[in-house]
Amino acid sequence: MAVSTIYSTQALNSTHFLTSSSSSKQVFLYRRQPQTNRRFNTLITCSQETIVIGLAADSGCGKSTFMRRLTSVFGGAAKPPKGGNPDSNTLISDTTTVICLDDYHSLDRYGRKEQKVTALDPRANDFDLMYEQVKALKSGVAVEKPIYNHVTGLLDPPELIQPPKILVIEGLHPMFDERVRDLLDFSIYLDISNEVKFAWKIQRDMAERGHSLESIKASIEARKPDFDAFIDPQKQYADAVIEVLPTQLIPDDNEGKVLRVRLIMKEGVKYFSPVYLFDEGSTISWIPCGRKLTCSYPGIKFNYEPDSYFDHEVSVLEMDGQFDRLDELIYVESHLSNLSTKFYGEVTQQMLKHADFPGSNNGTGLFQTIVGLKIRDLYEQLIANKATARAEAAKA
Amino acid sequence: MTTIAASGLSVATPRVVVVPTVRVSAPVRLNYPWKLGSMNRMVVVVKATSEGGISDKVEKSIQEAKETCADDPVSGECVAAWDEVEELSAAASHARDKKKAGGSDPLEEYCNDNPETDECRTYDN
Repeated sequence: MAVSTIYSTQALNSTHFLTSSSSSKQVFLYRRQPQTNRRFNTLITCSQETIVIGLAADSGCGKSTFMRRLTSVFGGAAKPPKGGNPDSNTLISDTTTVICLDDYHSLDRYGRKEQKVTALDPRANDFDLMYEQVKALKSGVAVEKPIYNHVTGLLDPPELIQPPKILVIEGLHPMFDERVRDLLDFSIYLDISNEVKFAWKIQRDMAERGHSLESIKASIEARKPDFDAFIDPQKQYADAVIEVLPTQLIPDDNEGKVLRVRLIMKEGVKYFSPVYLFDEGSTISWIPCGRKLTCSYPGIKFNYEPDSYFDHEVSVLEMDGQFDRLDELIYVESHLSNLSTKFYGEVTQQMLKHADFPGSNNGTGLFQTIVGLKIRDLYEQLIANKATARAEAAKA
Repeated sequence: MTTIAASGLSVATPRVVVVPTVRVSAPVRLNYPWKLGSMNRMVVVVKATSEGGISDKVEKSIQEAKETCADDPVSGECVAAWDEVEELSAAASHARDKKKAGGSDPLEEYCNDNPETDECRTYDN
């Protein structure tokens, strides 16, 4: 019984693509066997599987460091779509498309001013459209997605988005709507504590004319109620939460340069195996600096423990401090387990590739890179699974 | 290339966009730079770049927010005004980053978009 299902699993970094036009997704081949009188239909499905990743983050879209690290792990640099609206928020690389959820604002800046709502308010967003378009992209149909122009504050004419292998939706409300949440294969929430947020916004805005410490503070305070009511609750639905807190290594530090970053990983998520230190499920406290490794002040401190987060079982990996040198990074990487790297030193290599990105010397860069590798692993497992499932179905 | 150097223009100031109006008297003789005077003229057009525009918007929005909030610090208008400030500040910082990262080398940009052209081909082996 020679039934062949022709299906090729694409390695993520390959430069060849089965160009599949979205119109013709299935090709039927008729082959006549000379021995038997039966005809065999060989079904070649040219559809690609799209996985959807949700990323909840407060500040802006698409151009953030996390996005760039994520797309870099998959290969290729993500760039705005060529020839389109120059103020588009979308980023496209070979394998990944990053969509900014601000594009689904139902009210533009003037509309929001009129209605007296912030962009954080669900009333300013069109969740029906978001759900329809993400569903369409996931099933391999191209969509015309609106563009929210951050410069003018208006909604621009839509742009055509082709279904990619990996679709990342980044913004304020990826997990807010239940239907969209069900479409996500993996979700991440970037939780910046208030002190760190304040320090970062000062760094970002003090160079801007007109801003002062008071105005920055007032801006954060004013948005806080809406943020706590609408954005913060999405934490409980995320598969991975990256919490950024002020360091505990330096007493009374308020510069926000040294950070304590916690990677909270939900247990029991399909295709996602949490990173651990030394012994899975145990509680470990580790300071790598000592005889084998010399670190400068304030050093590095790791913690790993199982915990409960919003009634879920989670594993928490925490890093406090900064990397100064390459060998500290590789030393730490060699002691972490379940990183989903393809070769020894891949995490270090990725961090070095983007040494100029903010957070490259602390837990933010490290955990963002690790989450990127986890997502790559998830993607490959999902594809392999679907391929075997199809092979089984064809054999049956 | 020689024309830019010869006309002594510095393109270092970010707010000045040079729009060359080329009036070429035939025949064009780029091989004879001493005959430059009769060939091209560069007209400098001062154009406000978008970066300046956003900075102004940020400043204005902060003013507006302060005024709106002076009346009632917890009203919807106040909150919406500060949200606008936040959005514009984010846009301004992105514009600054883009400018820092992107506008450095025009050849680099061109080659990113057109790697197969003669100027941009790289031979690794």
